[in-house]
Amino acid sequence: MSRFDRQSFLGADSETKLCAGTIGLVGLGGGGSQIVQQTGHLGIGGYVLVDPDFIEETNTNRLIGGTLADVEAAVTKVAIAERLLRGLQKQPRIVPVQDTWHNATGELKRCDIIVGAVDSFKERDQIERFARRHLIPYIDIGMDVHDLGGQKYLVGGQVILSMPGKACLRCCGLITEERLAMEANKYGAAGSRPQVVWSNGVLASTAVGLIAQLLTPWYLETIEFVYLDYDGNRGTLIPDDRMELLRDRTCPHHPSEEAGDPLFDVREFNRRAATPVERADRPSTAPLTGLWRRLGATVAKVLGASNQ
Amino acid sequence: MTAHFKITRRLLESIRRDLERPHPFAYERVGFISAGLSSAEEDLWVLARSYRAVADDDYLRDPSVGAMMGPEAIRKALQWAMSEGVAIFHVHTHGGHGHPGFSGLDLREQAKFVPNFFQIAPQCPHGALVLSANSAHGHIWLDGDKPYKPITRFVEVGAPLNTWSTHEPL
Repeated sequence: MSRFDRQSFLGADSETKLCAGTIGLVGLGGGGSQIVQQTGHLGIGGYVLVDPDFIEETNTNRLIGGTLADVEAAVTKVAIAERLLRGLQKQPRIVPVQDTWHNATGELKRCDIIVGAVDSFKERDQIERFARRHLIPYIDIGMDVHDLGGQKYLVGGQVILSMPGKACLRCCGLITEERLAMEANKYGAAGSRPQVVWSNGVLASTAVGLIAQLLTPWYLETIEFVYLDYDGNRGTLIPDDRMELLRDRTCPHHPSEEAGDPLFDVREFNRRAATPVERADRPSTAPLTGLWRRLGATVAKVLGASNQ
Repeated sequence: MTAHFKITRRLLESIRRDLERPHPFAYERVGFISAGLSSAEEDLWVLARSYRAVADDDYLRDPSVGAMMGPEAIRKALQWAMSEGVAIFHVHTHGGHGHPGFSGLDLREQAKFVPNFFQIAPQCPHGALVLSANSAHGHIWLDGDKPYKPITRFVEVGAPLNTWSTHEPL
């Protein structure tokens, strides 16, 4: 028996297909770390892991794979994700990027699927636009806790599959100019958004199911636009009404004419090819140790807080 | 250099449907695909945007070949490349299933007209594709004065994704 025998229903060549797949994960916090873990178990072979942050104590309520020792050692979220994957696969193809995704576009272009587990609508909008330009399916997950007043809260979230040509995050109303403006106006407001591990788990698991469907279809019905609403109070994850309404919609926000890089010039590409520069592989991350690195993480945190 | 060609399933299926339409006198139909481009180090992505069929009247009668484009067909494609600054890929189908290949005639003809696109849209690569019912093969020119290179990898973007690699020696 092989380790993937229990998932053989995914198809006779599913193990090969999953191993050949490469996914980009933008955001390796509560949701992203769950996706890392599950895709590692699933057998996906290639990863572009993107997150600029170090683990902090407030992450340990939900960051899968992160430990208290990692907090003490100021380990990066990318390093935690990589460690988790290397514990599950013999030779994963990992490109770790301890940076914002804007500085990882070359690596992300090589992905079959990009998953966004980010906090802001602006980032979602931009990542999706990048994915659309490069004809890459984008999966978005997110959760939020809404204060209903009187010590009552609503845990909500979404899982959305945004396929090139099909309805996008703007088509389904998740991204609106109003939300982007409100988010921009809140810049500088103190406080962190509530996040809990079990809700992240529901959303992340569903996203991994979509990844599996995209890479190794295991049932006949193909759905190219998915919009699932999560109600954490009721414990439901159900199709949003717009999922059916927008099923056949051609997205007007990302027209096909926008595919590609508008500044691309093959003559420049040829010039670079004629003078090859040795590619500097991004180093595999190693856990940061020592007083000085811990101090550096603290300084970075303070600078980040003062910029808000 | 690794050349990738990506196209949505919706567009690819519409192209196949169009190419399978009967023509009044040509045995085959042909068309052109426009594409955007992107690159990262040695990887080049051709990202299909849209398709235009060669109009019925723009074929030449030549029973010795499957299809022969007239000068107006090529002029329109050149105009498209110039006005929109896009890569242009000639496309036709050989039908059947499995990995298709260009015929000797295909290779001779594409070597004649594809380099001309660099006269009016030198900032883009151009090329040619041949389809089957479930696969595709292609050549890409990065320079009008140099030989073509094979498109190494195809991705049909849909649910599920469908990817395949070229069988042509690099």
